[in-house]
Amino acid sequence: MKDQGTKPSIPNFLYSALGVLMINLIIFVLLYVIIAAEFAVSMITLLCTILVMLYLDKKGLINEIFSIFIKYKRTALISTVVLALIFPLMLADKRYIAHIAIIVTVYGMAALGLNFQMGSTNMVNFAPAAFMGIGAYSIAVLTAKFGMSSWVALAIAILTSGLMGLLIGIPTLRTKDYYLSLVTMALQLAFTMVLFNIPYLGGPNGISGVKPLSIGEFSLVKSYTVFGVKIAPQIPYLYLCILILALFIYIAMRIYISRIGLSLNTIAQDEVAANCLGINIAARKLFAFVIGAIFCGVAGALYGSYTSYVGPDDFGFPKSLMIICMVILGGMDNVVGVVTGAFILTVITEKLRVFSDFQQLVYGLILLTVLIVRPAGLIPKRVRNYCMVFKKNIVKHTQD
Amino acid sequence: MTQKTLEISNISTRYGQIPMLMNVSLEIRKGHIACVLGANGAGKTTLLKTILGMVKADTGSIKLNGESIDHLPTHKRVEKGIAMAAAAFGTLHKMTVEKNLKMGAYYINDNKLLNERLEQVYQSFPILKERLNQKAGTLSGGERTMLTIARAVINKPTLLMLDEPSLGLAPIMVEEVFRVIKKLNEKDNMTILLVEQNAQKALDVSHYGYVIQKGQIVFKGEPDELRSSEYVENPVAG
Repeated sequence: MKDQGTKPSIPNFLYSALGVLMINLIIFVLLYVIIAAEFAVSMITLLCTILVMLYLDKKGLINEIFSIFIKYKRTALISTVVLALIFPLMLADKRYIAHIAIIVTVYGMAALGLNFQMGSTNMVNFAPAAFMGIGAYSIAVLTAKFGMSSWVALAIAILTSGLMGLLIGIPTLRTKDYYLSLVTMALQLAFTMVLFNIPYLGGPNGISGVKPLSIGEFSLVKSYTVFGVKIAPQIPYLYLCILILALFIYIAMRIYISRIGLSLNTIAQDEVAANCLGINIAARKLFAFVIGAIFCGVAGALYGSYTSYVGPDDFGFPKSLMIICMVILGGMDNVVGVVTGAFILTVITEKLRVFSDFQQLVYGLILLTVLIVRPAGLIPKRVRNYCMVFKKNIVKHTQD
Repeated sequence: MTQKTLEISNISTRYGQIPMLMNVSLEIRKGHIACVLGANGAGKTTLLKTILGMVKADTGSIKLNGESIDHLPTHKRVEKGIAMAAAAFGTLHKMTVEKNLKMGAYYINDNKLLNERLEQVYQSFPILKERLNQKAGTLSGGERTMLTIARAVINKPTLLMLDEPSLGLAPIMVEEVFRVIKKLNEKDNMTILLVEQNAQKALDVSHYGYVIQKGQIVFKGEPDELRSSEYVENPVAG
């Protein structure tokens, strides 16, 4: 932050491994309170957190916190892992809260996938839910109709969603901007209609009896008794989801600091210039499409296998809009921001069930407020560090 | 006879039904500056885009260092060593100057070499060194032109194409830009294809010139010949 002139003030003691630990603990407690507390407490905490975050960002302190985390990488990593392991255990007796946590991780993955297209490359894809649906229906058909093992089905679901991303990506690449959005929108609507009209896929009734993921005989969606304590059936699955989300966050971060990430940004800013600089635009855009589709597909597959039921309504246009909102609200092109957005929106949606009929209204109001106050999202895009990680493609220079 | 860096023969290009280039042929010798002069809409930028492969030519062939590049897509041609700096598709305005330069060096992946090249660029363009951490969108027009040129030369291209580098600049900046172009040619022995409306300035630095009118090359020759020709004397057609 050299170019900012004045150095933002942050208590000195935070510049240490202990500081990282403290910040992590605060985030952890906040997460727990927001997700597990009663409606009023949860919403007030959420509101306060958002306000504090906005304040911190205005002072440039969020970037400072990021840099502390990068400096004390090891402490940050270990404490995060430990806290992530403890977190599900704290929800052991709360079925519904654990359910919300799983939904958060699932949408976090989908939002990360969409971010490759929307945040980095500026291709507004209105069909993330359709890609989720492809993953979910793959696993559903393979396990419920063919009786395959759910892990094999998950692997095939990854392949199919990646393949669909490629197939859909190739024709959509011919379009740009609004037209691309229109094409993907049409795709999303067509996807739901197709699902409704194929009897084999259950039509509007969907497919039930999707096998949950299991390790050997150990089913991941089942209630276990450990040390005499009965654990909610969602907990083992929550561990799996957190693990996969962590893996996805890692992949996304690696891509973002790589030259691929940088070239995606370049395409977003000026396609012609990017082409002039020697970037293979078509290949890069396809990459964004395919990896996005895979992320969404895995999210969908995990969702389907968790609820043991997939239906067209779960992957309709409103769901796509919700994922898009997560990306916009959390902060485009920022891995942490996107996951935060997924967390906030999912929790709000679930908590607002109290309002029943007014749920959509309140939801819309919240979204509108955030977009007016903060159009760039809660944690907006940061200037990314450029690093050299690629080995190939050295231009053959003619030195003569 | 010196080697020909670029050889274009009988290129024709159309935008839909409208012909933009008709049987254009030109060549650039190694280490020379060739300029293409022409009014708005004469097809100058189309010519550059055709060379870079952004616009597909209907007929004709393009050779770089004697090797045909007709079948290559744009990014492969850039890899072969054609670089373009254009006022029209300029800087990546949301990135810092440094990142812009590094994007230009997209194909260099040796850190040491990259730093060396960056150092060289800073020497040729001292103005950019002061602005390294500034976003490119906040630069002045002249600095932005410098940045596009610097970004193009960082790869040490075999052929540097400049699309109207003097566009929209104050006279003093125009001087500066042309001084840089001349220096690049003399010091680094860079082969340059210069497309300009500012005929006098362009001819001052060029070794050879072409006049393009309505998609056709209507005149070619040494700068002195061009200066005395009707095309350059008449500022409207120039």
